[in-house]
Amino acid sequence: MPSTFETEHRRELLILDTGPIRELVLFHAVDEYGFEGLRRSLEYIFNRDSYARCSKFIGSFRNKTTSGSVVAELNYWIRKAEITGQERLWNRVYEEFREMRMDEEVVKLLEMDRGQVTAFGPVDVSLLEIARRNGNLSPLVLTVDRPFYRECLRAGLRVQLLQNLAPMERDLGGE
Amino acid sequence: MTPEVMQPPPHSKRVQAWVYAIMNPIIESLRREAFFLAKGNITWQSDTRRCEYIRPIREYFQYSQWPNYEDFVADALNPGFREKFEEHDRGLSKVESSAAEFADGLMRSDLFRKQVKDALERYQSTARTNPQYPYLNDVPEGSLARAMAALLVNRMDVLPPHYGTHKFWEVYKKDFEPYRDRPSFQAVTKATDALREDSSKVLLELENHRQSLCRTYDIPAAPIPTDKSRSTDAFNV
Repeated sequence: MPSTFETEHRRELLILDTGPIRELVLFHAVDEYGFEGLRRSLEYIFNRDSYARCSKFIGSFRNKTTSGSVVAELNYWIRKAEITGQERLWNRVYEEFREMRMDEEVVKLLEMDRGQVTAFGPVDVSLLEIARRNGNLSPLVLTVDRPFYRECLRAGLRVQLLQNLAPMERDLGGE
Repeated sequence: MTPEVMQPPPHSKRVQAWVYAIMNPIIESLRREAFFLAKGNITWQSDTRRCEYIRPIREYFQYSQWPNYEDFVADALNPGFREKFEEHDRGLSKVESSAAEFADGLMRSDLFRKQVKDALERYQSTARTNPQYPYLNDVPEGSLARAMAALLVNRMDVLPPHYGTHKFWEVYKKDFEPYRDRPSFQAVTKATDALREDSSKVLLELENHRQSLCRTYDIPAAPIPTDKSRSTDAFNV
């Protein structure tokens, strides 16, 4: 089991996939801003306890980043999900990025492995590439996507499923 | 010769348009306003200088429904709503301008800016040794002060732990809260209270009027879903 020192110093960089960002945006909109109609879109964070656990976990990383492809995927989700509430959802996304102090990296298609893009799509592969670029920071990828989770493990990356955050916090000796 | 006043028939499509496309979204939005205003959180943003989630009435329904809105406020069956909506919007405008005045006053205050700068230096010094403190190294000059001003305007208590300024606000909030004693903040409070009163009055009148229209014209208060229909907007459901 890692020591407290190791645990703390390993939490330098968190790489966020689309799913966790979407859940944070939605839950805050529902719980803090009263947009009850969005509650049915929540898939993983259903109450304040689980939101607090996820928020605390994410907040324990000093730096957070994602890829431009994830932003494109958020756009796809918002266009599909809402007819007239798009501006408000984008406001929430902007607020979330600003408040999280989220960094964003661009990974060019030609920099990605073609086989991986074919298998997993450019969004997931861009996150793998960001993890590779920032290997010195011992990054951890946060996702809700199980096949992508398994691919990260295969690539030797630290990865966590949003839906499993509570057990992980316990494993790490957190609250 | 005076034209004959036409009463809409039962199940009138026109009245349904008023209820579904105009009244329902406004009612839902005003309920949300009540939710915010009860907490004193006016959702004011320093960059846009607007309340993010409290909007003029016309922004509470789809733009494509504007003709139905004009029809609604013009018809004698819906007396006084145009004036009530205008009153709401004037109240919101006062809230926004008083919030901007308070925040601008803080940004002009050498004392406030120095206090933020000093607090940031103390924070950074702790952050170097305590990994629980998120880095705030690259915060542009003035942006943290503006963020603090907005938190004061919105009476924020606690920020989610994954927000970059969560720890800073947690540690230094009490040092900034006395700025709420300024007369300019009292103006924000007064404008917010007035808006809350206006907003709840319009909400009640709209709810009563919707019920009256639904009973008179025998229409459901919301469209009944069919296979071909879908929710128009989860924000408004």
